[in-house]
Amino acid sequence: MVHALHEAQRVLQPNGILFDLRPAPVHRRVGIQSDAGIQEIGAMREDLTDDYVANQAVKQVVREGLFKSEKFTQFNCNRVMDGLKEFQDWLLDFTTVGREHSATHDWLSERVERAYHAIPGKKKIIVHSPLMLRRLRNLVE
Amino acid sequence: MALRIDPEKNEVHALKDMTEWRNKRVIEIGCGNGRLTQRLAHLGAQVVAIDPDRKLIATAKQDLPARLSEQVRFKVGSALDLKYPKQTFDIAVFSWVL
Repeated sequence: MVHALHEAQRVLQPNGILFDLRPAPVHRRVGIQSDAGIQEIGAMREDLTDDYVANQAVKQVVREGLFKSEKFTQFNCNRVMDGLKEFQDWLLDFTTVGREHSATHDWLSERVERAYHAIPGKKKIIVHSPLMLRRLRNLVE
Repeated sequence: MALRIDPEKNEVHALKDMTEWRNKRVIEIGCGNGRLTQRLAHLGAQVVAIDPDRKLIATAKQDLPARLSEQVRFKVGSALDLKYPKQTFDIAVFSWVL
């Protein structure tokens, strides 16, 4: 990761900007939205080790004097799904391709399915996915 | 039936709040299927978007609206070996890479 940051710094103009955009190191929460409001179903259990390693890499290049950390924000980048199939496909993709070291979430899939059938009327499944965005300034001339 | 990502457009608002993108030379590292690339182009940036996955780059090229084609170049490439000279870009974006 530090190597990638060094490489990005090389192709940046002096005083250029590096953005680090990625999921915040928190567990995603799943809920179902209906006319009655949002019912929270559960939080995913993700392995956040890679996130902490990435934070350490950013800290290292700041310590090396390559970049200055200027601004940071965190915001929701939600996934909204109209039905169970979309949710199950997304969950499968997430646990096999995304955070691949994360635990399986069969329990969550089953819990969402039960709640989905129990809630009447029109509804959507929402995965609350906080992202973080950091702005770093290239200090190297 | 559909999956919508960030219908509130929080991501693009956060990016806009962080800097001016218009006419900036941007390298997006880890562009995947080009979802964020399109948003950066909509903000006015000239984007080189790279990803090591050939299939994702092919999808990104296919999904790029024609009106953005002058602003965006997709390339297969690695974050560890960017094939560009020193000081080429105003902005680099690590998109879910670190």
